[in-house]
Amino acid sequence: MAELELLDRVHAAIMERMVRTGQAPHYTELAAELGLAVEEARGLLHALVETGIPAWLHPGTDYIVSFPPFHNLPTQYRISVDGEQKWFAQCGFEALAARWLFPGKTVRVDAPCLDCGEPIALSFRDEAVLAVEPETVIGYTYSAVGGPPENRPWR
Amino acid sequence: MNLFRSEEHARAWASFNAEYPEGLRPLSFWLERFSAPLFRERARPDYISWWTRRET
Repeated sequence: MAELELLDRVHAAIMERMVRTGQAPHYTELAAELGLAVEEARGLLHALVETGIPAWLHPGTDYIVSFPPFHNLPTQYRISVDGEQKWFAQCGFEALAARWLFPGKTVRVDAPCLDCGEPIALSFRDEAVLAVEPETVIGYTYSAVGGPPENRPWR
Repeated sequence: MNLFRSEEHARAWASFNAEYPEGLRPLSFWLERFSAPLFRERARPDYISWWTRRET
């Protein structure tokens, strides 16, 4: 395994970029930002995913698909912060955890119900649950949370 | 791992698995679960080191 200190730096750089922009960096950008050789950054990106954190790359590529709680591809879980929407959550449950990356700010989750397509809206600020619409919102997974990454976003 | 407007909507979903009813929980359950330190601490500059220590 790569040195943990380097993996910490790569994780922090990706997370900072996603929080700031809603998009994940390419490994060449990580290399420039962290003062690493390009191939070293690419290797560290793969090593980071292989640690077992619930992040993944598009199969056969070096492109970040998911970096929880965020998703680098649009999902039905749109995240807005203080009224600005530029993030997507990995899944409905990770949408609930996005607020921890935005302390002191109002984080709203908007999603359609997969059964009827009608809207679901949740709002948070830190520990506070500000709104749940409709009040009957429920969470469901058809298999245990975790497990193989290939179908995580769809469960 | 999805949100639905109600239990009835989740049960009516095309991919609902009647053999895994424990996956159907109130929002409060998932809010608590996704409020654990694992989720709260993601902005730490030493997150991987911290997470690795917890896993071992």
